[in-house]
Amino acid sequence: MKKIVIEISHPPYGHENAYSGFFVALGSLPKGVDTIVILTGEGVYAARRGQVDPPKNINLPSTEEQVNDIINLGGRVIADKQALLVRGIHDEELIEGIEVLNPNEIQDIILNHGEHILTF
Amino acid sequence: MVEGIRNKTLALMLFSSPYRSQYADHLCRIAEKAMEKGYNVEIFLYGDGVHAQMNNQTPKTFFNVGESLKRLAEKGALIKSCLICSQARGYIEGDFDEKLGKYPSSKALNTVEFCTIYGFVDMILKADKLLTFGSS
Repeated sequence: MKKIVIEISHPPYGHENAYSGFFVALGSLPKGVDTIVILTGEGVYAARRGQVDPPKNINLPSTEEQVNDIINLGGRVIADKQALLVRGIHDEELIEGIEVLNPNEIQDIILNHGEHILTF
Repeated sequence: MVEGIRNKTLALMLFSSPYRSQYADHLCRIAEKAMEKGYNVEIFLYGDGVHAQMNNQTPKTFFNVGESLKRLAEKGALIKSCLICSQARGYIEGDFDEKLGKYPSSKALNTVEFCTIYGFVDMILKADKLLTFGSS
């Protein structure tokens, strides 16, 4: 089984990056690709739950819905603990199912799982 | 041709438009060099990267990305472009044309093949190596 890591370091809504990275994950999982999404830097803002109807409010897809869909399809979504900490985002504010790992653990995943790595 | 590279496939994804940055230039130059060394090269234009497919690019001093993509396609590189991103940016001028077997676009290089995200995933599945450009 092919393994990919998708690293997202841009916040949702201000840029197209996060949405586009999640979209690749949503295309990969139905094809049997072992997919891990890693949220680093400002990408961790996509991990927050309670995003209020972005399609209606700003005509953009909801990254919260995308994260839920990825997890429901069997993908892993990981948020960088340090990036969350410095932005004051607490575990209880995260979308259910998101894993929080420290930078060393994330590096191990990239090295062991990153047969192909896509950055957004 | 470098021994051991024959039949290996290099996939390249471009996520930013040409000229504002040099990501497209770097992608094209690496693609050209990889083909010289014997790689099969496949390119996916994604997000603003689809602007690299624009016809008749005539930069006065910059590296001409459109001409480079044309050369790469002539040498056998496969160039795919995100359909939804291209529709959003006005490259697609109607529904899929069954007779022509493609989406109509007078603005994009005719060697570009429009596809959904699944077309990109197929590219990833085939690739021995994948490089992404322009996401920063």
